[in-house]
Amino acid sequence: MPATDRKILRFTFQERAIHWLAALSFGYAALSGLSLWSYSFYWIASVLGGGEAVRWGHPWGGALFAIALGLMYRSWARQMRLDADDRLWLRNARKYAVHEEGGLPEAGRFNAGQKMLFWAQAGATVLLFASGLVLWFPSGMPRALLEAAVLIHPTAAVISIAGIILHVYMGTAAVPGAFRGMVSGWVTPGWAASHHPKWYRERFKG
Amino acid sequence: MPSVAKLVDTSTCIGCKACEAACQEWNDNGFEVGTFQGSYQTLADLDHRFWNLIKFNEVESANGELSWNMAKYQCMHCIDAGCMTACPAPGAIFRHDNGIVDFDHDKCIGCGYCITGCPFDIPKLSPVTQKVYKCTLCSDRTAAGLEPACIKACPTSCLTFGTRSDLIQIAGARADELRQDGHAAAGVYNPAGVGGTNVLYVLRDASDPERYGLPADPRVPWTVSFWKGPLKWIGNLVFAGGVLGAIVHYLRFGPKAHGDSTGIARGPGEPGDLREADGHARD
Repeated sequence: MPATDRKILRFTFQERAIHWLAALSFGYAALSGLSLWSYSFYWIASVLGGGEAVRWGHPWGGALFAIALGLMYRSWARQMRLDADDRLWLRNARKYAVHEEGGLPEAGRFNAGQKMLFWAQAGATVLLFASGLVLWFPSGMPRALLEAAVLIHPTAAVISIAGIILHVYMGTAAVPGAFRGMVSGWVTPGWAASHHPKWYRERFKG
Repeated sequence: MPSVAKLVDTSTCIGCKACEAACQEWNDNGFEVGTFQGSYQTLADLDHRFWNLIKFNEVESANGELSWNMAKYQCMHCIDAGCMTACPAPGAIFRHDNGIVDFDHDKCIGCGYCITGCPFDIPKLSPVTQKVYKCTLCSDRTAAGLEPACIKACPTSCLTFGTRSDLIQIAGARADELRQDGHAAAGVYNPAGVGGTNVLYVLRDASDPERYGLPADPRVPWTVSFWKGPLKWIGNLVFAGGVLGAIVHYLRFGPKAHGDSTGIARGPGEPGDLREADGHARD
């Protein structure tokens, strides 16, 4: 078949499975967490089976997310390291937002924005999991830990949710084809060449 | 409706534990025999089925004088109640018209945030029901015009029940009396850090409430106030801003160019499609 008709495997089955395990567990943990964040969101708890179900399920959902993120870290941490091009990209991130890619260094398999999201989520998840463990078992827990945890947990959650709002927008509406790449795994050569040119050139272009 | 309150005059407490027994009895909390811990105190701390504890504080003053400061310990029914601030379940912790802070166990979800919010370390999570329990100031009795069980049982009039404003006056008068009797540091414990409490104490030595097992300057932890105050609004702005920002960006700048006609790969992989693992054009 002609080269332009060939599809390119963007994410392996294992990468997609880990991503969607993280996405589902995050979705549940975030929604159940939001229901306890403010009285205005408490109706979400009713949808998820009531306040007691949320109190039971939220920590387990969070633990599952932490595991998924651990797996993601194992597969991607090395590829997420920032290089000199990435730092230049980040200094000019505004150009990416307004579609002036001309002035930006070419992106590899992950662009610098994706790498920053990865590290922000990794950091927030460490904080969420550590403080979440404290809040999971409050009886007999030292006061200082509890008092720190009630501030760290929601703060890290705000950072994490903000990152995911951006991520969902970028991965769906803002970059057509990206969502398909994370579901079926395949993208077109044109897609790869335009969004991740360095990756495309080094790995696929003969 | 005026706030009701309970006054504990530690100078007349004889440590008889009648209030503990009455509390267990009225609230049908039963009792499990524990092990002797070298103190007359019934338990080391309150628990989910033990809401009223006389602390037997053995204290040595600077001049070597020993004193045995008995002080009843239970929910303080704070004016600025940290448990209510911290609670995420609407209506699970509520305040009666008469000022009593009470739990609705049908609405309690057992998260334990009230434990963090309480500077007196009062609420206790039951491992059995996964709900939190504490002194109700006998809201079921007071609603029927009765005094709380502990007060009913007290043989020395160490405990008094009444309106908060009356009891503040009675407590002040009793502290004056103690000062005239030579207890120069006598005073009333009604900590301002939590806006005052609906359980008041007369202490023979109010200079150091910790000698009675009471925190010197209880306050709702600032992390709880910050989380439930500014952080909640910052977070709501971030969430709303994130969603709005994405919509505005899409309307203003639209999606990224596809790179080819659709940019979307159709169908499953076929022979000839490219994987990194194929080593295609790696060099």
